[in-house]
Amino acid sequence: MASDQVLLRTSGLQTGYHSGGKRIVVSGELPELELQPGRLVCLLGPNGSGKSTLLRTLAGLQPALNGTIDVPGVESHKPAELARKISLVLTDRVRGNNLTVQSLIELGRYPYTGWLGVLDEADKAAVEWAIGAAGIGALRDRKAHTLSDGESQKMMLARALAQDTPILMLDEPTAHLDLPSRIKLMRLLHRLAGQTRKAILLSTHELDLALQVADTVWLLEAGGRLHQGAPEDLVLNGVFEAAFAEEDIVFNKEAGVFVIHAAPGKPVLLTGVGISFFWTERALRRAGFTVAATTGATPVLYHIRITDHPTHTSWLLDNEGVSREYHSIAELLQAIR
Amino acid sequence: MTESPIQKIRLMGLLLLVLLVFLLDLSMGTLKIPVSEIVKVFFSPKTANPTWHFIIAQIRLPKACAAVLAGCALSVGGLQMQTLFRNPLADPAILGITAGAGLGVAAVMLTGGSMATLYAIKELGVSGSWLIIAAACLSAGAVMLLVLTLSRQLKDNVLMLIIGIMIGSITLALTSIWQYFSDPEQVKEYLLWTFGSLGGVTGAQLSILSGVVAAGLIVAFLSSKMLDALLLGEHYARSMGLTTRRARVIIICSTSLLAGSITAFCGPIGFIGIAVPHIARTIFNTASHRILIPACCLIGTILLLLCDIVAQLPGSQSVLPINIITSLVGSPVVIVLLLRRKNLNSW
Amino acid sequence: MSKISRLLSSFFVVIITLLPILGCHQRVGSKEPGTPAPGELRPDRSIVKYAHGFTIDYFDHYKEVKILNRSGGRMDTLDYLLVPQGMAVPAGHPTAQVISTPVQSLIVMSSMHVAQSDFVGVADRIIGLGNGHYVNSTIVREGIQSGKIKLVGMDANLNNEQVITLHPGVLMTMSNPESAFGQYKTLINAGIPVLPNAEWLETTPLGRAEWVKLVGVLTDREAFVNKKFDSVEQAYRKIAALGSGAAVKPSVIIGMPFKGTWYTPAGESYMAQFLRDAGADYHWSDTKGTGSLALTFESVAPIALTADYWLNVGYADSKNDILSKDPRYSTFHAFQTGAIYNYNRRVNDLGSNDYWESGAVNPQQVLADIIRILHPGLLPADSLYYYKQIK
Repeated sequence: MASDQVLLRTSGLQTGYHSGGKRIVVSGELPELELQPGRLVCLLGPNGSGKSTLLRTLAGLQPALNGTIDVPGVESHKPAELARKISLVLTDRVRGNNLTVQSLIELGRYPYTGWLGVLDEADKAAVEWAIGAAGIGALRDRKAHTLSDGESQKMMLARALAQDTPILMLDEPTAHLDLPSRIKLMRLLHRLAGQTRKAILLSTHELDLALQVADTVWLLEAGGRLHQGAPEDLVLNGVFEAAFAEEDIVFNKEAGVFVIHAAPGKPVLLTGVGISFFWTERALRRAGFTVAATTGATPVLYHIRITDHPTHTSWLLDNEGVSREYHSIAELLQAIR
Repeated sequence: MTESPIQKIRLMGLLLLVLLVFLLDLSMGTLKIPVSEIVKVFFSPKTANPTWHFIIAQIRLPKACAAVLAGCALSVGGLQMQTLFRNPLADPAILGITAGAGLGVAAVMLTGGSMATLYAIKELGVSGSWLIIAAACLSAGAVMLLVLTLSRQLKDNVLMLIIGIMIGSITLALTSIWQYFSDPEQVKEYLLWTFGSLGGVTGAQLSILSGVVAAGLIVAFLSSKMLDALLLGEHYARSMGLTTRRARVIIICSTSLLAGSITAFCGPIGFIGIAVPHIARTIFNTASHRILIPACCLIGTILLLLCDIVAQLPGSQSVLPINIITSLVGSPVVIVLLLRRKNLNSW
Repeated sequence: MSKISRLLSSFFVVIITLLPILGCHQRVGSKEPGTPAPGELRPDRSIVKYAHGFTIDYFDHYKEVKILNRSGGRMDTLDYLLVPQGMAVPAGHPTAQVISTPVQSLIVMSSMHVAQSDFVGVADRIIGLGNGHYVNSTIVREGIQSGKIKLVGMDANLNNEQVITLHPGVLMTMSNPESAFGQYKTLINAGIPVLPNAEWLETTPLGRAEWVKLVGVLTDREAFVNKKFDSVEQAYRKIAALGSGAAVKPSVIIGMPFKGTWYTPAGESYMAQFLRDAGADYHWSDTKGTGSLALTFESVAPIALTADYWLNVGYADSKNDILSKDPRYSTFHAFQTGAIYNYNRRVNDLGSNDYWESGAVNPQQVLADIIRILHPGLLPADSLYYYKQIK
């Protein structure tokens, strides 16, 4: 592995704000945080844990209450200097201007253009690359306010890419997107981190996708502690579960998902294999049944046998000696409810 | 943002239009003066009829120049305010500067009530229209300082808007109290001032006004890049390297200079500040301030010169106050423009 | 005859009989019109010759004054009965206000009222004044100093309670008889007669001055006022004849523009009359209107550039003042020859200009000033009284 330079490092950082003369601490016990090139970091945590405050503090939009944020190559925290190191995609609604998509993206070259803001060849090349990388070439001549949420997000990403900084930070970028757009965006960010060697930090509620694309996860607990590490490590050592632990909310480590229906239901015996077994179990759980894998001590109400035929699947329901065959899960559930 | 050639063509076209309307304004007035006479006044002044020379050179020309200055200053001021506050209804008066100028003028015209006070002020060596101008500048400057001080405390621009409106209310209240206790002549004099007048700026006053307006316009043009960045909001602007506090100060100062000086010398003139930036955006279809600032200057000049021509009621003995004409002309323009837009996002 | 026709005829007879008696009771005495028959001069009765704003009618034991209002084409009349102290108020005038003569105390609003009282010799009867800014009369200024004359405010700020406490014989206001007279209801109901003294609406100088006769009528000093006004009238007519008959009439411009609009007297105003009587060539002498014309600088400029004289330049006291208003005035011919005159010679330390006070009741002096300016040598040499040259 090439020597990992550090693009951003914090030390003794405390985030918070001043309100009415009082000092309000949001995150008081942060460990040393680092951003490295080519790595995608996801900032996760329940609502109110201080994700936004931390991100904005790291981005330079808000002053830290304590501690330092060190960005090698930047002397002071003057906006003009930070602008060459960190670019942002925020949740701010950008409306009420007459900009075309192209013009908006070109604004990303602000730190590099002359006193009147005229773009030179290098600037134009950077803008072209950004448009290509974000994949919105077809939209460049449209007015910015006519784009859909997904397209708009790509446009803001392109603007940040045009700013050509080693660090890219995004605040809840998947917030208003539909599922396919969310997947595509996360995939794009993962790819960009690897290709461009940028350090990408993003905060999100999208736990499932984050676990799949993040190289490092910063997990903020409701109490203020931050755990960092590879996502899989955090799952395996139970930190993940603990961070989101609440009554009736359970994280299923095997499936990697949060379980909605955790309470045990009426026992059923289910035999079968593969996908059919997996999805039949889920359906039964939703209907209020718990599956016992093998005949054990507990008496079961029903015995259901799944058979996968070449063209269809059938379910055989055994209830106190009477057998009925069903051809869909819906029919099966209808029968046993 | 890059300029396409068509923008340059449009600018050239507008420049030609400015020259045309300027000449038209010079040829309109109470007296019928043939265009050939106007040409003579400029190129061979000695052969021109002295009365006509006086009227063209001393009455109509300064008035047209004042219209050019006011058209540029007020429209660029309005553009900056609309960008800074990201509000399509903002105009240069929004910070209360114009109201502040009016307060100073009221203080001199209304409370300087008795002749004794006026004579006493004359001892200081300042008299006549200079007194009014000085008072307006001082009070506008005081309001500007107040606004700047308050802006340091505020993170949100919306709060500044509210403060501007409140300052406007306070000055209105004070002015009303003074009017209540004044003689009818003083009240009428103040009322006439509020109607605005382009014809009262001459000689040394015109030179000073030109200098101040030029300074304000240059600062505004140099702020084009800052203003472009502010289109995305203060957070994005900051992330792109803009020191937002300093940018706010510069923009407020240049707008105050532009709006305050015009109000001090010509009285309050409304509507140009709101309407012209919208017209400029429609014609040039861009948000780049590098283009919009010169565009606003040209369009503002044309619009105000046209209003002046209408105010002349050409051929008649009287003249309508300019402020009334700009409102009558400006309102329908804004309404038409807004109707053509689909929604507020596209302004 | 039938019963009905009998009833009708007796009714008819009764009416006929009563008619003269009813007729007699309509008037206390026989009316004697204001204008006397030729050869019948009554020195103690004032005749209104020039003013259009008021009329005086004399009856046996009382006088009736009507203040006429010609504004807006409507004829509105305010009626006043001047009844000597102790006498019964004549019946039949339900809307008239009653003033007890001779009036011993006055509250006045304008400096012109002060001048009129001075003229009539009753300035010492003033016990209240609108505001103390514009006073030239020595008697009144002393009265304010000593506290004998109270400042009661004007128009909307008029202190009703104070006026009622002072209880003057009459309150003279400046307002147009038509406007806002309702605000004085409180005072009228308290028994204080309110009389609008609107001399500033007159269109001739003599008409303006003649309002002194109103004060004379209120204070029973008609003989004195008649004599004094007659001499003013004669002096005025004499020099007006000289002025208007002058061979050469110099051109004159009046006033100063404000912010591009030049307000200059219209043809039917008293200032225009002054100019006609002084033998001036005033370009707008034939225009309609009794007030001012609002003209653009441009329409006045051709005249102003070549006019011989420039009069009434606002508050300007020196050529520098004029230049500071607008440097373009330096090209006016009158500016270059120094032929600029203003009526602010008699401005006192309060800043009050006597032109508006005693000048209103001494039109012959004002006219003399103007003629001396326009036609040097036409009148016997003397210094200007109200006017001064602006240097």
